Amino acid sequence: MFSFFKKKRSASVAKDRLTIAIMSDRDRTNSYPFMDEMKAEIIEVVKKYIGVKNIEIKKEIDGDLEALSIDVELDKKS
Amino acid sequence: MGIVIAVISGKGGVGKTTATANLGLGIALNGKKCVMVDFDIGQRNLDMILGLENRVVYDMVQVMDGEASVKQALIKSKVSENLFFLAASQTKDKSVLDSKKVQKLVTELKEDFDFVILDAPAGIESGYEHTIEFADAAIIIVNPEVSSIRDADRAIGILDSKSFKVKNGEEVAKYLIINRIVADMVQSGEMLKSEDILEILDIKLLGKVPEDKGVIDASNQGKPVILDKKSIAGQAYARISARLCGQKVDMKDIEIDDANLFKKIVGIFK
Repeated sequence: MFSFFKKKRSASVAKDRLTIAIMSDRDRTNSYPFMDEMKAEIIEVVKKYIGVKNIEIKKEIDGDLEALSIDVELDKKS
Repeated sequence: MGIVIAVISGKGGVGKTTATANLGLGIALNGKKCVMVDFDIGQRNLDMILGLENRVVYDMVQVMDGEASVKQALIKSKVSENLFFLAASQTKDKSVLDSKKVQKLVTELKEDFDFVILDAPAGIESGYEHTIEFADAAIIIVNPEVSSIRDADRAIGILDSKSFKVKNGEEVAKYLIINRIVADMVQSGEMLKSEDILEILDIKLLGKVPEDKGVIDASNQGKPVILDKKSIAGQAYARISARLCGQKVDMKDIEIDDANLFKKIVGIFK
């Protein structure tokens, strides 16, 4: 009888854990709504000085620290 | 003009390539023209599952680079004349894919086929992003297991932000296939129920596929399990393929194991 109850719980434990993990994943990874606009503006600024192929902006969270990492891929030709 | 469907999972090893092969064949057997493209650069596998590994001459990267035409590179299925296949590149690295080339290939295939099915690589790196970028719809494959479901949610998140359709204000259709369901485990509460998975991922269900040893037997032989009429996974893929072709097929509840139910009822009277 005990093992029956124990088994019954593992799927619901999984559901609870997943619900929380996924909620926090979504929070962390959701970029800001203005990201595309900001990206376009940064490209314009950098372009004044050097050729840009692409810019990648990521929101990164490490513990309590939140940061934006901006990777600028330069155009080889310039 | 056909529809482009990306088959994705996030996590590897959940049966994505097996699903692609079976759905592609199922669609073809329903009389629709279908082409499958393996986007798993460097880890070509769809050819093995289809039993076509000896027929690969040109791969999709060679087509994209203009070294071969689509016509030259397409491999016709042994089972259905409606089904074609384009192999992944085995030699070049993943960075060979680029948006414009992918778009050109996908657009070209769309003109000739009713269904263009793209088998995505596992993970959520650039190879994955290129697979989903020009897809009209995505089929997400999960196992009823925490890591698969969590990774699927991340893959869906990227689909929702990087898809060409979404960027243009349209919606990309998303459907879930739950693979490797073990009915008696669901019944005993040891395995997540499909309704819970749908609730967590907030997505529509396309079908449920039960765990079935026949799947490995089928891939050993290079004959997709859908061809085995007795296989319960094969039957599930046949139902899902029919749904994709617009037929109304009831969701058979494979989470209730008939034999087990009988045992339980007998048990009450013991």
